[in-house]
Amino acid sequence: MTNRPYRTTLRYLLLPLLLLAFEAHAEPYLAVQTGFKCGQCHVNPTGGGERTVFGNVFAQTQLAATHIDTGGDVWTGEINRFLSIGGDVRADFEYTKVPHTSSTDAFNLEQGRVYASANVIPQRLFIYVDEQVAPDSALNREAYGVYWSANHDWYVKAGQMYLPFGFRLQDQSAFIQIGQTTGINMTAPDRGMEFGVERGHWDAQLAVTNGTAAGPEKDHGKQYSGQLIYVESLWRVGLAANINSAAAGNKSAGGLFAGLRTGPVGWLGQVEVIDDKSLAVGTGRELATLLEANWRIAQGHNLKLTHEYLDPNRNVSNDAQTRYSLVYELTPIQYVQIRTGFRYSDGIPQAPAQHLKLGFVELHGFF
Amino acid sequence: MSFSGYKIMVALLAAAATGCAGNGNGLDANGNPTTPGGGGTTPLTADFKSIQDNVFTPICTKCHIGAGAPEGLQLDADHSYALLVGVASAEQPTVSRVAAGNPDNSYIIRKLQGTAGISGGQMPLGGPYLPQSTIDVIRQWITAGAQQSVAAMSLDASVKAVQHFNVATTSPDNGSIVSMVVPQIVVAFNGDLDSTLLNNTTVTLARTDAPPSMDAAAVPVPIVTTVPAGNLSAILIAPRTPLTNGTYRVTLQGSLANMNAQALGTDYSFTFTVDALK
Repeated sequence: MTNRPYRTTLRYLLLPLLLLAFEAHAEPYLAVQTGFKCGQCHVNPTGGGERTVFGNVFAQTQLAATHIDTGGDVWTGEINRFLSIGGDVRADFEYTKVPHTSSTDAFNLEQGRVYASANVIPQRLFIYVDEQVAPDSALNREAYGVYWSANHDWYVKAGQMYLPFGFRLQDQSAFIQIGQTTGINMTAPDRGMEFGVERGHWDAQLAVTNGTAAGPEKDHGKQYSGQLIYVESLWRVGLAANINSAAAGNKSAGGLFAGLRTGPVGWLGQVEVIDDKSLAVGTGRELATLLEANWRIAQGHNLKLTHEYLDPNRNVSNDAQTRYSLVYELTPIQYVQIRTGFRYSDGIPQAPAQHLKLGFVELHGFF
Repeated sequence: MSFSGYKIMVALLAAAATGCAGNGNGLDANGNPTTPGGGGTTPLTADFKSIQDNVFTPICTKCHIGAGAPEGLQLDADHSYALLVGVASAEQPTVSRVAAGNPDNSYIIRKLQGTAGISGGQMPLGGPYLPQSTIDVIRQWITAGAQQSVAAMSLDASVKAVQHFNVATTSPDNGSIVSMVVPQIVVAFNGDLDSTLLNNTTVTLARTDAPPSMDAAAVPVPIVTTVPAGNLSAILIAPRTPLTNGTYRVTLQGSLANMNAQALGTDYSFTFTVDALK
């Protein structure tokens, strides 16, 4: 007996899903390469975390170099109509070298995360939890409820969530996401509400949160973070803004981001300026940029090249920092990814920590 | 997509790629303009200024800075010492962030080493982690008493310290609303306090929104005031009974003084509101 009947069954199950779902989201470079929106592959309309049925199908049929047949049953993340789960595990071997110090090399468990959604009213209302279960003790990253309108053109989210502001990169140490700039990334959720609109090519989100990175509220000030995105199949462009009002002083940020597909290469670009008045006078005015090229060499093979720029104080000359990354991402089979790369940081000569060289090999399992 | 559309996209992406690293001319090791008597490259040694300049400022403040700093821990030069030494960890309140003289019982060491039992991840989050030699220097500083020196403060703070003994920061902040139980109040000064002046008169806590039935403008709250171990420039004010929802005022008498007998001069007060027990 051959596997052909099962493969045929799988194709019948999966192809309609792929053909029907062209309004969607994914990891940013995948979204740009495919023309989808983030919410196409993630249950979170702004991306990241648990994958949708489409996201799981995409991972099996479009992301992996080889699809291992699982017979008639296909993993979609759905336990039943009302409950779905997912997860990510990242482990790596990392080498770092900072001038004038000994190099380090170590095996690390970067993170283990599990996601669960209770779709209490399918397509309309779901409760979502993103829990980091490793390394060390557990941390709740996101926990919220989302109510969608009947025709899915707007939603309201309430709870603890990541904030909308430009591209949500997997690399949490990217200049455009670190605490020194916006601090908006997938390690810094906040508590509050988000309102989102999805109309044709347009997406918009506005979140109102405590502005304390999910810590206790200390004053009446709130954080407002939002973005407006126009998405075409070949390109997209967006504006993002954030203001965190606090007794110690307001922090504000503005960003412009864009994506473009040229043949097999997906390009991401983001420019943002930050003004943090909670810091000492004369500091807290940063500029950060990202340019990322992703070359889809073949199905399952992606080569990523990034250039990042950080001006940590626009009032001061000669203090800029840069970071270059070359990362090869191989997805040999569904739900397994091997990433290997090198990051080279450059900065002022008198700051050794700004000259970090980092090499890594990462095993990423997800479902 | 039209050709002009492509040109706009390419221009946006090209704009993101501009820029090279700075040459560092006129800057100290933390990228700040050099000033007479300040800045410059210093090797890592077991004193607070060196640790601030070589670890906290260049590495930790990428996240631990500003109002949204994780766990409220701001590690820039003006805040770090007051929020570290003798102050309970927010993640594990039974452990001090820095327990002077005891690195193994200092939560910062556990977080830097990734010791089993910590909450959350090893620091710096996501790596690269500090080499053990760097952690050993921090351990050495803690073992030696986790002292702060005037030289460790920023230039602004140093100038203030020379000019006038004063309150540097408080936790909770003045005017803040705290949506959690407040086990202790932290007041940090810009110099070492003469702890012999601490008593129930020089430091008081009162509830200022007392119910009308109490017939008083402010109701005193019994407290215990201590100086955190190893941090003579701060005081910890612990209410004898848990603070219920309400507005509170801390008052420090102007007679409180530093070790050079420089007094505050005038009474210092700050208020905060507890709104945790809904």
